[in-house]
Amino acid sequence: MSAVITVKSLAKAYRYAKRRGGFFEAFSPEHVTVEAVAGVDFEVGKGERVAIIGPNGAGKSTTLKMLSGILEPSSGEATVLGLTPWKQRKALAYRIGVVFGQRSQLWGELPARESFALLRHIYDQEAAPFAKRLGELTERFALAELLDQPVHRMSLGQRMRCEITASLLHGPNLLFLDEPTIGLDVTAKAAIRDFIREHARDHGQTVLLTSHDTRDIELVCDRVIVVNQGRIVVDQPTDQLRRRFLGRKIITFQSAGQGVSLNLPGVTRRASEAHATILEVDTRLTRVEQVIAAALADGGIEDVTIEDPPMEEVIAEIYASTHAA
Amino acid sequence: MMRAIGLYAAQSRAAIRTSFSDRGNFAIQVGGMIVNDIFFLTLWVLFFAGFRSIGGWTLPDMALLFGLTMSVVGISGVFFGGYRDLAATLLRGELDALLTQPKGLISRLLARESIATAWGDLAGAVFVLGVFARLQVADIPALLLAIAAGTTVYVSAAISFASLAFWAAGARSFARDLTDFTLLFSSYPGSIYQGAVKTIAFTLLPAGFVVLAPMGMVRDPGLQTLALVVFGAVVYAAIAVGLFHLGVARYRRGASPSL
Repeated sequence: MSAVITVKSLAKAYRYAKRRGGFFEAFSPEHVTVEAVAGVDFEVGKGERVAIIGPNGAGKSTTLKMLSGILEPSSGEATVLGLTPWKQRKALAYRIGVVFGQRSQLWGELPARESFALLRHIYDQEAAPFAKRLGELTERFALAELLDQPVHRMSLGQRMRCEITASLLHGPNLLFLDEPTIGLDVTAKAAIRDFIREHARDHGQTVLLTSHDTRDIELVCDRVIVVNQGRIVVDQPTDQLRRRFLGRKIITFQSAGQGVSLNLPGVTRRASEAHATILEVDTRLTRVEQVIAAALADGGIEDVTIEDPPMEEVIAEIYASTHAA
Repeated sequence: MMRAIGLYAAQSRAAIRTSFSDRGNFAIQVGGMIVNDIFFLTLWVLFFAGFRSIGGWTLPDMALLFGLTMSVVGISGVFFGGYRDLAATLLRGELDALLTQPKGLISRLLARESIATAWGDLAGAVFVLGVFARLQVADIPALLLAIAAGTTVYVSAAISFASLAFWAAGARSFARDLTDFTLLFSSYPGSIYQGAVKTIAFTLLPAGFVVLAPMGMVRDPGLQTLALVVFGAVVYAAIAVGLFHLGVARYRRGASPSL
């Protein structure tokens, strides 16, 4: 798989003036340097969908800004689609799409259709292929009813669908998404995730996204880079990450009568609901089939669900283990 | 070049349509500005009715100055309206989205907004220049050149002041104050400025190049005046572009207060 993004020892430090108390001290502020990204190395192959996750201030957005050409690094190297982002910003801009969840590239008072038309000029697109692409995205993202509506009258979810469409209209090879589902309701999040995943898969498009929402990562990305304090803590496929950090399964038993009560090593009962017993199973101590067999022997089971633990727990465990180290 | 002009025109059209979108609000703002301009003009008419002239300036001179000022503010507001809140725009970090797109930054920032009240200034300018300034048809080319030069200097000054936001977060308010001071200094007869005040009016605050020097193009046309006006426009535009790009470079290094 050819590398679309190559990053070597990439670092970014911010220097800012720290105000001190007192009138005269205000004229001689103390300067503080913060290492936002402390020398990261990674590669992203063509067609990969990679998430960069981490707590606030971990360096996710700074990394994304360096790779999209907005910021210059303090040191290190990076190539994106064969270009150095901060040196060849304009050339790169034609080949990438960028969405900032908390910023807009659309004109708020104008109907989305007019914003899209302006983007055609900005990206020097020919009318015919642009119209074809807009038609496809409109159909895929169910935008037909939104096109003539001013952007500022749209819901956040509708606006984000338009933002993502806007970022794809010039046919970029690579999509950067910074918190694309922030502030959205569950249905809108699901629509955005499905769209990003399916569009990227169908077009062989590479995606690099940052998010606080672990469901974005689970449902969209096939690889996760966890950053903390400017450093990469983990870089693994999503499934592997889950297995590595939590050798556990969540088993939910639906029963007509009393809940399931099992006394097996490594099996603990979580807060359960009426007619539903939720068990957390350490698979290193007891296998899933042993738990199910024991529950079926107990009788009254109507349904069983086996799930991996939520990504929140995976990440909490990663942070805990790296802090301990 | 043609593509850049085409893009600017498309963005400007969109911004103007946006300023029209709330018609009631648009009408109130334009009407309010016309009333404001009429009030200001009436004061000068009454003043000259009593004093006839100040420092050699008569009502037609004052009307020309006033009309030029309104033309400059009107054209700047309608077609380059992003200048007005540029410092705030930069401090909100809105440069990020533009930096991921392949076109020039200054033009994108200027064309993003069209100010409704500026139409009121333009309407007032046509009235004042047409009725009170005693202009001849032969003056029109010089008048248009004067408006173009004044607009260039005024917008350039606003860009330069707003670019200070790359160095100081406080620029949000003082950039606008400096732009307003430039306009205020431009609104009085040039003969009242002497010594240090005159130096400031022609340098730090380029008020002298917004209206006073361009006025000379209409009243006393000649190569020397033309050279001075063009020189002023080119120098202030160069300073604005230079300062803005120095600021952008600082922003991209991560040293700007908006990051």
